[in-house]
Amino acid sequence: MIFIPRSIIRSLPLVALLVTTHAEAGKIDFAREVLPILSNKCFVCHGPDTKKKKMLRLDSFEAAIADRGGYHAIDQKNPSDSEIIVRLHDKEDPMPPEDAEKKLTDAEREILSQWVKEGGAYAKHWSFVPPIKGAAAGKKPSEVIDSFVEAKLSAMTDGKVKLAPEADRTTLARRAALVLTGLPPELKLLSSYLADSKPGAFERFVDKLMESPHYGEHQARYWLDAVRYGDTHGLHLDNKRGIYPYRDWVVRAFNRNLPLDQFITWQLAGDLLPNPTLEQEIATGFVRMNPSTAEGGAIPKEFQAKNNFDRTETLGTVLLGMTMTCARCHTHKYDPITQTEYYQLFAFFNSTSESPMDGNKYEYGPVLKVPQDEEAWISHENMQALKTALVEAVKDDLLNQLPEAERKKWKSLSAEKKFSFLADSNGPFAKQELGGQATAAAKKIAALQKAHTPTLVARELPKPRETKILMRGEYDRPMGEALVPAIPAVMGSLAKDAPRNRLGLARWLTSRENPLVSRVLVNRIWQRVYGDAIVRSPEDFGLQGKQPSHPKLLDWLAVELQEKDWDLKHMLRIMVTSKTFRQQSTHRKLPLDDPENFWYARGPSYRLDAEVIRDLALWASDILDPHMGGEGIKPYQPAGLWKALMHPGSNTKNYVADKGSKLYRRSLYVYWKRTSPHPMMILFDAPDRESSCVRRGRTNTSLQSLGLFNETQRIEMSRKLAERLIKTSKDNKARLDHLFTLVACRPPNAAERKACSGLLEKMLKSYADSRDDALALLSTGDAPRDESLSPEEVAAWSQVVVTVLASDIALLLN
Amino acid sequence: MNPFHEHQLSMTRRQLFGRSALGLGTAAMAQLLPPELLAAGKENLNGGIHHKATAKRVIYLFMSGGPSHHDTWDYKPKMREMFGQDLPEHIRDGQRVTGMTAGQKTHPVCPSKYKFTNHANNEEGAWVSELLPHTGKVVKEMCIVNSTFTEAINHDPAITYIQTGSQVPGRPSLGAWLSYGLGSANEDLPGYIVMHAKTNHPEQSLFNRLWGPGFLDSEHQGVLLRSQGDPVLYLSNPKGVSRADRRAQLDTLAALNESHHQQSLDPESLERIKQHEMAFRMQISVPELMDLSKEGEKTFELYGQEARQAGTFAACCLNARRLAERGVRNIQIFHRGWDAHGSLPREHESQCKDIDQACAGLLTDLKQRGMLDETLVVWGGEFGRTAYCQGKLTKENYGRDHHPRCFTTWMAGGGIKPGITYGKTDDYGYNIANADGTPMFPQPQKDKWTPGTMHIHDRNATILHLLGINHRRLTYRYQGRDFRLTDIHGHVVKDIIA
Repeated sequence: MIFIPRSIIRSLPLVALLVTTHAEAGKIDFAREVLPILSNKCFVCHGPDTKKKKMLRLDSFEAAIADRGGYHAIDQKNPSDSEIIVRLHDKEDPMPPEDAEKKLTDAEREILSQWVKEGGAYAKHWSFVPPIKGAAAGKKPSEVIDSFVEAKLSAMTDGKVKLAPEADRTTLARRAALVLTGLPPELKLLSSYLADSKPGAFERFVDKLMESPHYGEHQARYWLDAVRYGDTHGLHLDNKRGIYPYRDWVVRAFNRNLPLDQFITWQLAGDLLPNPTLEQEIATGFVRMNPSTAEGGAIPKEFQAKNNFDRTETLGTVLLGMTMTCARCHTHKYDPITQTEYYQLFAFFNSTSESPMDGNKYEYGPVLKVPQDEEAWISHENMQALKTALVEAVKDDLLNQLPEAERKKWKSLSAEKKFSFLADSNGPFAKQELGGQATAAAKKIAALQKAHTPTLVARELPKPRETKILMRGEYDRPMGEALVPAIPAVMGSLAKDAPRNRLGLARWLTSRENPLVSRVLVNRIWQRVYGDAIVRSPEDFGLQGKQPSHPKLLDWLAVELQEKDWDLKHMLRIMVTSKTFRQQSTHRKLPLDDPENFWYARGPSYRLDAEVIRDLALWASDILDPHMGGEGIKPYQPAGLWKALMHPGSNTKNYVADKGSKLYRRSLYVYWKRTSPHPMMILFDAPDRESSCVRRGRTNTSLQSLGLFNETQRIEMSRKLAERLIKTSKDNKARLDHLFTLVACRPPNAAERKACSGLLEKMLKSYADSRDDALALLSTGDAPRDESLSPEEVAAWSQVVVTVLASDIALLLN
Repeated sequence: MNPFHEHQLSMTRRQLFGRSALGLGTAAMAQLLPPELLAAGKENLNGGIHHKATAKRVIYLFMSGGPSHHDTWDYKPKMREMFGQDLPEHIRDGQRVTGMTAGQKTHPVCPSKYKFTNHANNEEGAWVSELLPHTGKVVKEMCIVNSTFTEAINHDPAITYIQTGSQVPGRPSLGAWLSYGLGSANEDLPGYIVMHAKTNHPEQSLFNRLWGPGFLDSEHQGVLLRSQGDPVLYLSNPKGVSRADRRAQLDTLAALNESHHQQSLDPESLERIKQHEMAFRMQISVPELMDLSKEGEKTFELYGQEARQAGTFAACCLNARRLAERGVRNIQIFHRGWDAHGSLPREHESQCKDIDQACAGLLTDLKQRGMLDETLVVWGGEFGRTAYCQGKLTKENYGRDHHPRCFTTWMAGGGIKPGITYGKTDDYGYNIANADGTPMFPQPQKDKWTPGTMHIHDRNATILHLLGINHRRLTYRYQGRDFRLTDIHGHVVKDIIA
């Protein structure tokens, strides 16, 4: 495993790599060129967290131009006399000082000098200025995307580089299906798309993909990474936690295309909405998602603070694209967030009613009992509808048959109570047909409810808990006055009439004035479509974050999301149908050296995520169990992995793999033990879900190779797919075509056919005189082998299949 | 930085990886590395990246929980006279205690029941308890640090703190930082290996995060070397698949990826072929590593006969030496069960028996093979244990709660001053103390270090230093901040460096 330590690369001096481009571009752009330097190199001493009163502040224009006793950091009258310029070039007494940890490069010094000479104007950091949609008259939204990308490409290369040609239909079909549903397209859908020669065929195909329930499952996965969803508490014993109905709600919300503003509001404050629905309350599991503990010696007050640090900072990462953590202990070093503001944001979360310690309990209250899987939800909703219908069916003619008192009572009752009244087998309706139906319905509802399962929800204390600044973030050192919940001033302010609670916070987050949320969201939507985001630090839109490659595009998308009622499907549709997305993904030889596809001169290509790698193979082998929702499933896992880690008192020390169909459910449902997630997930860069993750890595390691070729389920899937190929197709050529069509949406090319046929031949020979080996291979995994087929043939084909599934043909989106 | 500059930087970074992945190695690096690094040359730094490393590798013996310093390394004869008396208030000095003993009405002084012997070292000798008879004999090689300290008082935060520099999950582990900083020197084995040793008292949890990559790339996470099933997950071929079969499969896979590469020109496809090949080699190199049949009887005399039994601490130590011989630079063994709230004698006797001979054997073995000079061996837990008794105190039986203010750890080899004791505690083994025994109450500070003390950040800084890494300069930009293992703290404790 030789690799060059990244630390060495990180220490490459920028100066060698920087080419000064601002000369051509005209005036220095403060927000994009100067502020990042000030933040990274100067703010440590001259920034918002400056301790010394007399210290020069460079985070505000007023301070920079102030008279400092005969001189100015920025001298507006005689810019060349500015102290900044003097000290930047002062050999005796330079700035930053000789012993500073971070030094300026020559190029950076040049930019700063030039900026001061040009007057030293300040501007707000880009992400704090609400986005504005540039003009895009008469264009379809997907064309608008292309026009921004094309304009950038053209500007970068003097018009020499244009978008690449469109990829062929099979490639596009697979690419779009993987982006939208995390699975290849169903063969029927694929062939109808390939046969559709009318204009708009691709758009229709995309719409069909988004109607699949697999769409919501796949989109949910990214959100679950961001909110650090796990099936266990996370700390110490890492016991089981009742929270999976939240995961299933996220799937349902995406499948029903719940507008993202509501999606956010329900999660932050569903319990504070008027007459919240069950789903709105389940959504508040978001607030309860922090890892928790009940370790013997732990101090409740400490964890009251820690739990809320975690919530505050996760909100920062997931919705604001802001790193809040610095401000826990002191005013933020780089971003304009004070410690007071941190604790004001913290205060929104500090009044929830759960105990700070989880008691190692599955039902770490408050909990709600809710339907346990998708089927149960459907029954639940049907019964709710029936209840309403029955109550509404009670008309005057029926009521008039009741005694006066009962009639009055009926009219005074809420809908819910009306139903109970109607269903009461001792009540006045008992002998009526409607009453009988209601009684039966109530019985059925009661039976259904027995199977319901608890899920953690947020509830507000009747009286808010007091929040104060914690000195250096220490729970036992509160200081100053009690704080009123509020948001950091640089991001805007709460509406005057907004309640000072999580609901008020949610309203602000989803308001048009919020400069961050819609940008942060569209950036991540873009990332899951193109593989990389427009702002390549999706977790940080602050001064230290990366600059957007296409700022105007980002802003346009952010406003589009708001204007189109926060419609996620709309956003995905316009991205996926753009020419930018539909390009061929070949690394072209261009006058633009761009290995990371920063400028999108080719279509997306990247290694698929852990879950997709598994799901694709389950699907291709036709053993994918479509069951949606329910408790986390446990596929095969090497014995003893949990036991080697866990306390004997933990209820997650024994991993017992499931039996039967559960083994074959989508990976979204794999049980997520936070201190030891499934090894095949971790092997392919899935996060542990102890903390928020909005961008996964994509590594290539030798351990992945071992997993791909040797893991029990990989073998099981391969042999089931081998059986499928053998049963469906007569000859080996057709079987290979079938395999490639499933995995790559196309038949193999000549080289691929030659390689695979060669392997097949070898394997057929190898197994021909060793039936025992063939049978041994085919006994891997629980699924029984099809005894009507020749074990030698299935074994040989399994070996071909597992190889193709481990190759880039299956592993990549391209 | 404007996006164009930023892009150029990232591009170059990527190209560097791309090229090195294709095997251009040093030549490509010569073009791309900054001159100051080139001038020094990595070889001249003995594997270090910021300065010359004295240790080429580290073997970290982690005692998960809090070994009682009172009953092992920190001899407090005066406590015997104070048996059962309440711990003086000025000694406790407002120390917050865990929820487990916070409610206890008295805090009776609890002297160790074990006999201590003075073993000769390069100073006035080291007092070691009878629980560690073998380790006592090698104190000449060790630097025993009595003044290690932390702030965390419970297991999960404390172990997360010492292993990642933060009490809250989410940061890279020490091992991952080392992997990130040093890369790997062996083509056939992972660069960072973690082992879990058996114990009779598994009352402790371990978490993936302790060897996890945090926000670094997942290639930096520790690879488990297991004693159950495959030593490395998914190492062996499934039943019915021969090595020749796998060779044929990999050849086919290479052809498929090359075909893909011809169309896509994506360099990563070729990189993946290389990784598959390394996996193929690992299928030989790992079983060879685990095969102890060629180890002579002498080896087992050194480490103890338990070393024959897979998964024991002794076997893990022997594996560690074998890994070190094969160029693995970063090895960590976790031994659970150091948490004697009650029945300390029963538990610690068993725990110490697990590790004692193997620790001594490892040091002796490395020394005999001429490897100790360049191998840093580190021993310790996440905190110490209280001077007062938890639960019922008798002369023969007692328990101790968690104690953060002082505890004993040791280091040996790899540039550490051999045969010394560093730091001192008061007569109660409760506070780090001056030479005259007065409590010092040190605090970790960014700019100042208190001589004679070793905060866990100082300890981590020192470990990195010995491996040729400046802990302040090994950083990773995440969420806008240049994170490092030691957060904003950490001072290299030069006093213990040879």
